[in-house]
Amino acid sequence: MLEANLQQRINAQLLDKLQLAYICVDSSMTVVEVSDNLSSYGYNDIVIGANVEECVDFMFGFDAQTQLDLPMVQSPSGITISVSLLPSDRLLTVLISNASNQADQRQLLQQKANENELLVERQEKLLTQLEQASEQLESKNEQLEEASRLQTSFLSGVSHEFRTPLTSIIGYTNLVEQSLQCPTDKTGSDIQQKADHLRAVQRSSRHLLSLVENLLDHGKLDSDEIMLRPKTTNLVELFQDVELLLKPLSDAKHIELTINLDIDDSTIVVIDDSRLRQCLINLLGNAVKFTDHGSVSLTADLSGDFLSIKVADTGPGISDEDLQKIRLPFWQAADTGKAGTGLGLTITERIIELMGGELEVSSVLSEGTQVSFQIPAPMLMDQECAKVLNSKQSLADMTVLLAEDDHDIAALMVVMMAERGVHLTHVENGALALEAMQSTTFDFVLMDIHMPVMTGYETLAALQQANNSTPVVIMSASTVEAGRMKAESLGCYDYLIKPVDVDDVIEIMNHVALDKDADHTC
Amino acid sequence: MVGDFSVGKTSITQKFVNNVFSEKYLTTIGVKIDTATVGEDKLIVWDVAGRDSLSPINASYLVGASGVILVADGSRSSTVGGLLEIWQTVTNRIGSVPVVVALNKADLDGWQIDDHSRALLDQQGWDVFATSAKDGKNVEAVFKKLVEIMNCKES
Repeated sequence: MLEANLQQRINAQLLDKLQLAYICVDSSMTVVEVSDNLSSYGYNDIVIGANVEECVDFMFGFDAQTQLDLPMVQSPSGITISVSLLPSDRLLTVLISNASNQADQRQLLQQKANENELLVERQEKLLTQLEQASEQLESKNEQLEEASRLQTSFLSGVSHEFRTPLTSIIGYTNLVEQSLQCPTDKTGSDIQQKADHLRAVQRSSRHLLSLVENLLDHGKLDSDEIMLRPKTTNLVELFQDVELLLKPLSDAKHIELTINLDIDDSTIVVIDDSRLRQCLINLLGNAVKFTDHGSVSLTADLSGDFLSIKVADTGPGISDEDLQKIRLPFWQAADTGKAGTGLGLTITERIIELMGGELEVSSVLSEGTQVSFQIPAPMLMDQECAKVLNSKQSLADMTVLLAEDDHDIAALMVVMMAERGVHLTHVENGALALEAMQSTTFDFVLMDIHMPVMTGYETLAALQQANNSTPVVIMSASTVEAGRMKAESLGCYDYLIKPVDVDDVIEIMNHVALDKDADHTC
Repeated sequence: MVGDFSVGKTSITQKFVNNVFSEKYLTTIGVKIDTATVGEDKLIVWDVAGRDSLSPINASYLVGASGVILVADGSRSSTVGGLLEIWQTVTNRIGSVPVVVALNKADLDGWQIDDHSRALLDQQGWDVFATSAKDGKNVEAVFKKLVEIMNCKES
């Protein structure tokens, strides 16, 4: 008995010295024996007969056959221990040793290593961010350089585009002026020559106007300010107009320009004719500009309320690479030597999209280019067409008031309208217009916006207040959409952009006359 | 709780078990064992030392586990990618056990899982939670989800 106690004491001292503790469990995981020093690791509640899973947290989930080493487990006392599960035939011995020294050393090393690795990771991340920022800056720089290049090229193109018609206008007007100062020759050939010169001036002026319109439209593209204004349009007349405008250009280059229409002369559709005209001039103008030999053709047909148009040329063609870029604003092929703003196609494509179509471009190098699109163009019924076509009646009986402070424009309007049999009464501002309208009943008023004493807007407002329903057509140099909307809200009949085409005024007068007739009929 | 080092395994555990959080990073050595309850279920949570470039997960700590929470740091994509390798270690040792994923540190500015990492996680079909041990976001949800999956498996 004494010997057994002694042996127990020796064993206990040995375990303490080695900082070892143990738990023995049977096959049902019931504690059968424990060392006395278990409490030094915080395991205080382990009693013989208890289930080890319930009193030792790390033993949960194991069975008596598990052989396992669990290094560095934090014990309830906070001391780090190493655990070995040693199964035998009848018992599982759980051997616990103090691993706090080893854990402390490991903690120091691991903490430093992990912190270093985190630092390296952060540095790598920062480097990547720096590289990305640098790449973005480089890309931005390239974009800026490209923008600057495009701007320079654009300004140079615009300058050239403006100079060409201006040179023509100045040159031909000089010639006409000289011939007027020395009227020695009154032969038919001289008159014919003057007429040719004036036609050249007119052509160049229209070209200048188209350039200005393109430039202004480009400014509106981003702000979605371009709006469509569909109206009844005779398609054949529209195509003939465009042909007449482009013919001199193609003739000058000895290129054949053909317009093939599969459309009846009397067909009237509802479409924004000025925007369609702008698109056709841009597309045909481009085709003529880039074609040095051969022909340019426009084919159009109307089917099921859809207008299909194809412009084909025998020009140099466009490479696949350039085909990707031609729709970009300001882009121009580098090696063509042709001046331009690089805006025509961009604007045309946008307008066609607004009209509900899609511009398609195909090209073969050295063979030519084809541009086509299809847009809705609702046709009027036969009787409606007849009404529109018959509306061009005599306007001589109409009384028309012109309110315009610019004497040159007013004088021009008076002369041009007189040539069409219309007599204008001219006043210089809105106040005088109101005064004139009190004493005389006018069928129609043409009015500028920016006038001294009383502006066009103020005059419209005064007329609206007085319930005066005389149709007023505004003539404005402003292309800003807000101006048109303001005038429309004040009850204007129509809104024309300067320079005003007298034919447009006549057409509106026809509509006014037609409305008047309709009212009388009713 | 397994994952790469410094992803916040200990922080999530401490937030869940003791509702505490510390900004200070203290690497875990070996394993820390805690006890918590989810509803009527008692959980014994083994918070295992994180994997680093030199030391893999000690698979002995995985023996007996009924489920695994894979933890990654959402602001370090390498730790998200590393989950696949860690999951391989788990399945090699204890087979396919219930698993949920905690993408931790969701409170950090600019925390964003890139498309590649997101695709990796989606491919596995894991339940993924954006967690924050700091503000407690989804911490409880992760444990609840794991318990739910474990209970489903048992029944």
